[in-house]
Amino acid sequence: MTWIHPLSAEVEETANVLGSKGYGLVVLHRLGMPVPPGFVINTQVCSDFLQNGRFPNGLDDELTNAVADLEAATRRRLGGSERPLAVSVRSGGSVSMPGMMNTILNLGLTTEATAGLAVETGDPRFAIDSRERFLSSFAAALGPGRAEVPNDARRQLDLAIRAVFSSWDTPRAKTYRVLHDIPHDLGTAVIVQAMVFGNRGDHSGTGVAFSRNPNTGERTPFGEVMFGRQGEDVVSGRSITRPLSELAEREPAVWAALLEALQRIEGHYRDACSVEFTFELGRLWILQVRSGGLDGRAALRVAVDLADEGLIDRREALLRISPRHLGSARTPRIATDAADILTRGLGASPGVAIGKVATTADRAARMAADGPVILVRPYTSPLDMHGLAAAAGVVTARGGPTSHAAVVARALGKPVVVSAADLTVDVDAACVRAGGRIVAEGTFITIDGTGGEVVIGSPDILTGTTDPQLHRLLAWADELSGNNSHRDEGERLAAAHAVLSRQP
Amino acid sequence: MPHSSRQTSSNLLVLHSLRCIGFAGLARIADAAGLPESDVESELIDLARAGHVSHTPGDFGGWGLTESGRAADAVRIAGELDTVGARTTVAQAYDAFTPLNTELLDLCTAWQLRIVDGVARPNEHTDPVYDSRVLDLFTDFGHRADVVCAELSAALTRFERYRVRLTEALTRARSGELDYLVDRFDSYHTVWFQLHEDLLVTLGIPRDWAAADR
Repeated sequence: MTWIHPLSAEVEETANVLGSKGYGLVVLHRLGMPVPPGFVINTQVCSDFLQNGRFPNGLDDELTNAVADLEAATRRRLGGSERPLAVSVRSGGSVSMPGMMNTILNLGLTTEATAGLAVETGDPRFAIDSRERFLSSFAAALGPGRAEVPNDARRQLDLAIRAVFSSWDTPRAKTYRVLHDIPHDLGTAVIVQAMVFGNRGDHSGTGVAFSRNPNTGERTPFGEVMFGRQGEDVVSGRSITRPLSELAEREPAVWAALLEALQRIEGHYRDACSVEFTFELGRLWILQVRSGGLDGRAALRVAVDLADEGLIDRREALLRISPRHLGSARTPRIATDAADILTRGLGASPGVAIGKVATTADRAARMAADGPVILVRPYTSPLDMHGLAAAAGVVTARGGPTSHAAVVARALGKPVVVSAADLTVDVDAACVRAGGRIVAEGTFITIDGTGGEVVIGSPDILTGTTDPQLHRLLAWADELSGNNSHRDEGERLAAAHAVLSRQP
Repeated sequence: MPHSSRQTSSNLLVLHSLRCIGFAGLARIADAAGLPESDVESELIDLARAGHVSHTPGDFGGWGLTESGRAADAVRIAGELDTVGARTTVAQAYDAFTPLNTELLDLCTAWQLRIVDGVARPNEHTDPVYDSRVLDLFTDFGHRADVVCAELSAALTRFERYRVRLTEALTRARSGELDYLVDRFDSYHTVWFQLHEDLLVTLGIPRDWAAADR
């Protein structure tokens, strides 16, 4: 039995064994993409570990060999004082779920290895920053009360792997599986890869890139980038990100490589894709790939465009659009092309709201007598409830899509944007600040609870289903079903689906 | 009537209830405090005279806390905690509460949004199998949450009110009044949100320090 598989184009195991993240990395290898070397500990090990409380027989030896191979491939030593190897350790189930341990970065940076990295790079600040990121991600992964970090790299690796496996059984993860019909014995894989350092100076960084705009479906690369930072900062929204397009100006070679990668990946999946990437000293690395997952107008536009581009045929385009997509496409959205975007957070309750900025619940309640108000808060507490009730929409700087604020706003049926990370609320000065701009209380803003945009003034709003793409898709549907009578959009799509399901 | 040491005075109970539920009418304050409306009104008038609360008239009116009321509550509620010697118990309960809070917010979100094909969309409540699954998870959660509430109540009697209100909300939801999960001022989530606030205020933890993503 083999428990561990190197990340390479030759691996034959399925996504069930490797987890979807690991499988995606194998696909990237096959496409010739730059992927940091590493290996996958498969999902079977997790099932065994959870059943017996220990690693299966033979895993230790395999792990030793896998680490040795990785050391040979990188000409480095895990925890070594010269040319140290540092690795990332990530969970990789066939689906990602809340509560699972996500990532430990820079593992292997013992005190000796950190000193070695400082000497090798001539950049002690970078080495120390990397070690600190390791310590904080390790402590977070192991949970409170177990903060002692061993100074032995292999021991760190063992503990990190255990932490990933144990996180499979957190109450949050269990709940998620019950809700989504995921078997409890599926297990997660663990991905161990040589680190690439986005925090190694100005010509390094990290980001997320979509091959097409996930909000509109437009065929323009979209995403976020951070210079001189490491991956977790993007995902957790802890740091201030820049629009992806800045990469084109600052790192043209990385930008060109990224565009080429996105195009090749799209060609493989025949769908819109996104990648997590890092660049170190001007060299691009791809860390994760996802395909599809768009909704509403964006999904419609991508399906029609892909058919026009010849990547899929019209039948496939029709099959990719469900009545649910049509439903979501009716949700009002801000037309972002000409909009004056103040900041962006995460949409957590769909819909568009426009109103005057209010920075406290009391002011929101008072101002609401004269017209609609958007309550903007750092976070919300029960003391904000009457303001939430009076407001047309809510923005919070902190809190995620499952925060109290998001739950309450959804219960009230109001659009909400959360995690608008670069937004600060100054109650005393009665203003909010973002992106170097100051917006006074009483200024009109518009928020989009799907895309997470916060826009100054009253931008154009896309409502109903007036998209040309929708009409083209429905025309294809009618052509297929041979029925041109005047019917509901959902019926026209369903008739085409019925024809397609009868054809091989 | 003499108070046992674990019993909060009516005056502080009314002030603190308002601190934890936010701007509200008499009925909601009385429900949170577990006192008759007439008693609550009398305490509110005293508190208003001291400048701790203020009343806004009108259809959307009610009682709200002033800055001085907020400060006074922080001092008095911390004083009570130490007088009774319950700080350790409440701090331990808060440690147990934190992961439960994350879990409850997941459940509320699962009730409101449903992930299909990797995309979260509003739950239209057209799939009884899914909804009853979420409701069962709420019930299971309720049992585990009640253990923490029981520990809190044993340390400080005023916490008993949360047990009563949470149980009431869940019982009603289970009997078909589904808006008692997240959609009302006396829903399970709203009461839980107030308990969260209460623990933070009682232990003097600023909300921005508490679990960064909540």
